[in-house]
This record gives sequence, C-alpha cells and structure tokens, in this order.
Amino acid sequence: MTRGAEQPTDEELVAAVLSGDRDLFGDLVDRYQGRLVNYLFRLLRNVDDAHDLAQEVLVKVYQVLDRYDPQYKFSTWLFRVAQNAAIDQIRRRRLKVVSLRQDDDEGGGEGRDWDLPSPERGPYGEMRNQERSDAIQEAIDSLPWEYRELILLRHFGELPYEEIAQLKQMPLGTVKNKLFRGRQMLKDKLQDFLTD
Amino acid sequence: MNRPDHNTYREWLNLEVDGSLPRQHQAQLDQHLVTCSACRSEKEALLALEGVLKRSRAEVRPGFRHQVLSSLPPASWESRSPRTWSFPAAACLLLAVAAAVLMGGGAAGGSSALSTVAAVAGMFQATLLAGAGLLAATWKGLGLLFEQVIASPVSLGVFGVFVLCVNLLLISLLRRRRPALQDSPREAASRDQGGSGR
Repeated sequence: MTRGAEQPTDEELVAAVLSGDRDLFGDLVDRYQGRLVNYLFRLLRNVDDAHDLAQEVLVKVYQVLDRYDPQYKFSTWLFRVAQNAAIDQIRRRRLKVVSLRQDDDEGGGEGRDWDLPSPERGPYGEMRNQERSDAIQEAIDSLPWEYRELILLRHFGELPYEEIAQLKQMPLGTVKNKLFRGRQMLKDKLQDFLTD
Repeated sequence: MNRPDHNTYREWLNLEVDGSLPRQHQAQLDQHLVTCSACRSEKEALLALEGVLKRSRAEVRPGFRHQVLSSLPPASWESRSPRTWSFPAAACLLLAVAAAVLMGGGAAGGSSALSTVAAVAGMFQATLLAGAGLLAATWKGLGLLFEQVIASPVSLGVFGVFVLCVNLLLISLLRRRRPALQDSPREAASRDQGGSGR
C-alpha cells in the first residue's frame, strides 16, 4: 500500500466510519479530544464539565454523522456543534445562578458567584500555575464575546483562520482583525505573566 | 514600492506567530524587525502570550477515548451501512449456492441448470411466504387474545389494572430521569427575568 505512512484525513475517517468501521471513530476522538476539552474548558470554566460536554458533543456528532457534509471541514462542523452545546449549557447555568441568587435574596443571604468554582489550591509549587491559569481565565472572560469566541477557537480549538471564518460566517479579513484586537487586549491584561 | 505602516507590520506579526503570514510579506517583515525594536518586543510579547496560553491547557482525563467509545449508542445510520447488510447477504448467497449444488446433484443428468435456478427461487419464495404467514399469524394471535380480554368484564378489569400499573411504572421512570432535564422549564421563567437577571 503506497499510502501506508500517510494519515487518513478526517473526511476519509468519517467515510470509513459510515461504511461500518465503528472503531475508526476512536481515531477522530484521539485527534480532537484535547482541542475540544480545552476549548470547552475555557468556555465553561470547569474542567469536569468540559470533559462531560466534550463526550456529549462527540456522541451527538456520531449519531448524526451521516448528515455531515464533506464539502466543509470536519473540525468546523465539530466545533460548531461544540459551541452550540456550550452556549446552551452556559445559558442553563445562568438560569441556575439567577435562581440561586433569588433564593439567597429571599433568605437574606449574600449573592454568590455560583458559576465560578473556587480553585483548588494544591502544593505551593502549583500555586503559581494556578494563579496564572486563573489570570488567563479572568483575562479571557473579560474580553467582549465577539473577540473571546475567536480567541478560544484559535488558541484552544486550534482552528485555522479560514475555518473560523467559515464557522462564524465572517469574512476572513474580519476574523484576522478581531483576532489581532483580541490578542492585543489579552496581552495587555496578562502583561505580568508574559515576562516570566 | 509602498512601504507598509507600523500597524500593518503589527498585523503581520500576528499572522506570523500563527504561521499564516504570506511568503511575500515575510522578507519585508524580517527586514523591518532588524531596525524596529518596538516590533521586535511586540513579537516577543506575542510569542510569550502564545506560550502562556499553551501552558495553561488542561490534560485530557485518562480513559476519555474509551469512555466516549463505550457510550456511543447505535446510530440510525448504522442499520443502513453496507457492513450491516453484508453478512446476511453473504449468508443468503451461500444458502442459494448450497441449494443449487444439492438440487443439481440430486437431479442427475436430466434436469437443466434453469430448472435448478427455478427450484432455488421456489425455495426462497416458500421461505418468504412462510415468514409472512408467521407474521400474520402472530398479529392474528394477538388480535384473538385481545378479543378474549375484552370479552368478559373480569378480564377487562384485570387488563385495566395491568395497563394502569405499566403507566405508573413509566411515570416513575420518567420522574427519576427528571433532574437531568429540570433546567428546561426554567428557560421559560428566565425570559421573564431576562432584564433583571443581569
């Protein structure tokens, strides 16, 4: 076989899965699990929730794999499903926060920032990492949504500009421009950590 | 040749860090970086940002792949995939060949290949008819059973209690699953609270 050393493309893997080779879906999982979990982690701010949602997204994608249109990149499709699922979950969380805050108000308690999990502090050596991770999360969260979503797709989803443009249905120039601005904002907010 | 302004160089730096800078601009940018210290430090900052973001990535839970694969339910398209049909189709073909060999061997000499094919086709026809008959008989049997159930008031009552129990069981199962879905009714409530929630 001449193509022995070559990796099959995502589209070839999807075709093989659709023709009955279920196990090859595992190769797609291998390819995207890291990017998907990290992208969702930064959107949901909780690594366990990110894993759960990533699993849900992959299962959902598998179930409707026959609807995948190979004229688009598989990764674009996958991240579109992931983004929609994450937005749904964030919306549901906000409802819970509203509901919990109302309960607190009724009980005379203080409002809680329910959806920000208190970071677990490990040994001293990990404190700096944790601090950095929290600062990154804060910096990302402080970006306006239009920049934040592109930064996450680029830096954690690792999608190329063209795919981001396709996913967000934006002109390529707009994507480049927004990423440029988003990065400038992020750079300013993380100034202290860039000199480490 | 027009010289790009400083902002253009900064945009190019972003593209370069992403590996998306067109080749024709690379030489120009490299040349500019030799003389412009502001752009050099901008490039360093961008690379540092890239590094910081990379280092902040979470590790994927061990066994995640297995977890995903073992939780895949059968998808509707799987029943249409060729592999699902290939085994039954191969079994049918094998059966047909075996039948043709046996029938051809039994009718030594005299009968033609055509009559063997006709006999095999007849066998498949009989199998189909038997299957259809069995299916019809099953439905007929259920129909008769139902007729008997509604014939007397006692059996009708027993049947009614049975249906009620099944319904209660289903309702209790649905209520047990409810916690996972309990957010959806709140969506309606949130619409009312939309403005105040912020």
